[in-house]
Amino acid sequence: MLGYISNRIMGLIIVLIGVTVLAFIFSNISSVDPAEAFARRNILNPTPEQIEEIREEMGLNLPVYRQYFNWLQGVLRGELGTSLLTRNPVRVDLAEKIPATLSIVGLASFWIIIITVPLSVLSAVNKDSFFDHTLRIVTTFGISIPNFWLGFILLVAFAIMLPIFSVVDYGSLKSLILPSLTIAIPMASSSIRLLRATILENMKKDFVTYAKARGISKNKIIWQHVLKNSLPPMITVFCQYLGYMIAGSAIVEAVFSWPGIGSHLVSAIIARDLPTINGCLLIIAVIFVFFNLLADILNSAINPKMLSEAGEV
Amino acid sequence: MDNILEVRDLNISLLENNSTIVKDVSFDVGRGKVLGIIGESGSGKTLTCKAMLKLLNEKVFGVRGKVKLNGADILNMDDKQSRAFIGKDISMIMQNPMTAFDPMMKVGNHIVETLKAHTSLSKKQAYAVGMRVLEKMNLQRVAEIMNSYPHTLSGGMLQRVMIAIALMLKPRVIVADEATTALDVKNQAIILDEFQKMRDSGIGLLVVTHDFGVIGKVADEVLVMKGGEIIERGTVHQIFYNPRTEYTKELLEARFLVDEVNYA
Repeated sequence: MLGYISNRIMGLIIVLIGVTVLAFIFSNISSVDPAEAFARRNILNPTPEQIEEIREEMGLNLPVYRQYFNWLQGVLRGELGTSLLTRNPVRVDLAEKIPATLSIVGLASFWIIIITVPLSVLSAVNKDSFFDHTLRIVTTFGISIPNFWLGFILLVAFAIMLPIFSVVDYGSLKSLILPSLTIAIPMASSSIRLLRATILENMKKDFVTYAKARGISKNKIIWQHVLKNSLPPMITVFCQYLGYMIAGSAIVEAVFSWPGIGSHLVSAIIARDLPTINGCLLIIAVIFVFFNLLADILNSAINPKMLSEAGEV
Repeated sequence: MDNILEVRDLNISLLENNSTIVKDVSFDVGRGKVLGIIGESGSGKTLTCKAMLKLLNEKVFGVRGKVKLNGADILNMDDKQSRAFIGKDISMIMQNPMTAFDPMMKVGNHIVETLKAHTSLSKKQAYAVGMRVLEKMNLQRVAEIMNSYPHTLSGGMLQRVMIAIALMLKPRVIVADEATTALDVKNQAIILDEFQKMRDSGIGLLVVTHDFGVIGKVADEVLVMKGGEIIERGTVHQIFYNPRTEYTKELLEARFLVDEVNYA
């Protein structure tokens, strides 16, 4: 088990290096000059000399690989540079924004789980029933609806027409409900599809027939055998969703005026704030990679067969 | 004649197109008797077994007839009532031990779960009973087996665990569906030996197979099935030495051919 995890961690470090290298290359390919952008924001009519001075100060005159290694050294010391926009250390800005995003994503995950599991089981057990068909239509809508549109609709419905929530609100648990539902509904819709299909597939397995032949009750067979065996693909997908939710939080945060890492990244991109962009990408990549690893660990913990297939045990 | 299992006019149809796939199957199994059902794949023998224990999907198959266990017709009871019999008074040994166990559940928990479904034993007591029934099957290092996941055990071992589970609630009838097919010769011999013991203890045994060798070793009476119907029945001696239908003759010949190839 430990060997397996350390192997995976090695692989993940390589992924992180790849992501950050790409981020550096792409921001250099871009035609906008961050030094000039910074100069124009801070100095009225900057001269070319002033821009050159800023470029040197920011280390942007160095070749890309030198810039990358300088940045990487900083990262290893825990320093992500200084934001060109806020003049704060990037680290401090991020530490301030991340909790806001994590609280939405956390509540959204909770919705996804409590919506997906019971509905998938009910719809698989009552396959082709009225409930199953209705759920299929509802989830098709859920999958097709764009996030930002759903967010606006929820705002119109529950903050304007039925003023249960405020349009702009931040800080309370209540203010989390609409944004988290906006993220959760499309993801729950597609995970219902996946879990229902996996449950149906497992219901045909020999071990279900044998459990029936032993006189085990239908409920026990579904909840203790079939559901457990249907979880591994669900766990993998769910942990990917966690990554997507954080990486894709920008749109929902914009709709709900939510001060999280997503909207922070968007304003950094608009302002050509390179250190902040790189810092955000690094954090998002780390979170993505971490949840992927978590999925593997959870799966091998509940599914002993997976480890022995990987040559461990 | 004390029959513990009476199957009468068992008919299985596909609901989709209303076609009959098992037709008018009737037979009895007496105390301590072994009834063999033989036929090629697709002859309906496995369907017959599954229908008896109500294992077929009700949305796909229509099952009519009577399956009387000591006089009680389990086929026409509601599921809640019949579940008290299934797995206890009539139990099953499945064809493929490697896939019959839940891959995410330890072997011991399969035993505990089955005992708890039919008795009021506590989990601890059930676990102790589980150890004992595995020991009775001449399995070594029982505690280790109880604590293992199914994929870490061999097919032969799992098949013996399955027999232990089938026997532990003192059933009247055991249905063995191709219980030896997936096993090597040595494990086959062990299982056939267990069948003899079951029979000696008064259990009625229904052995379903396509292997005349198995039938010859354990059965008292034989049914030959083809295309969902019983086309011939008789004692093992009659069927082996005096088959009446061409089909049975062909099955027997095919078997000798296989033997010749094996010994060549």
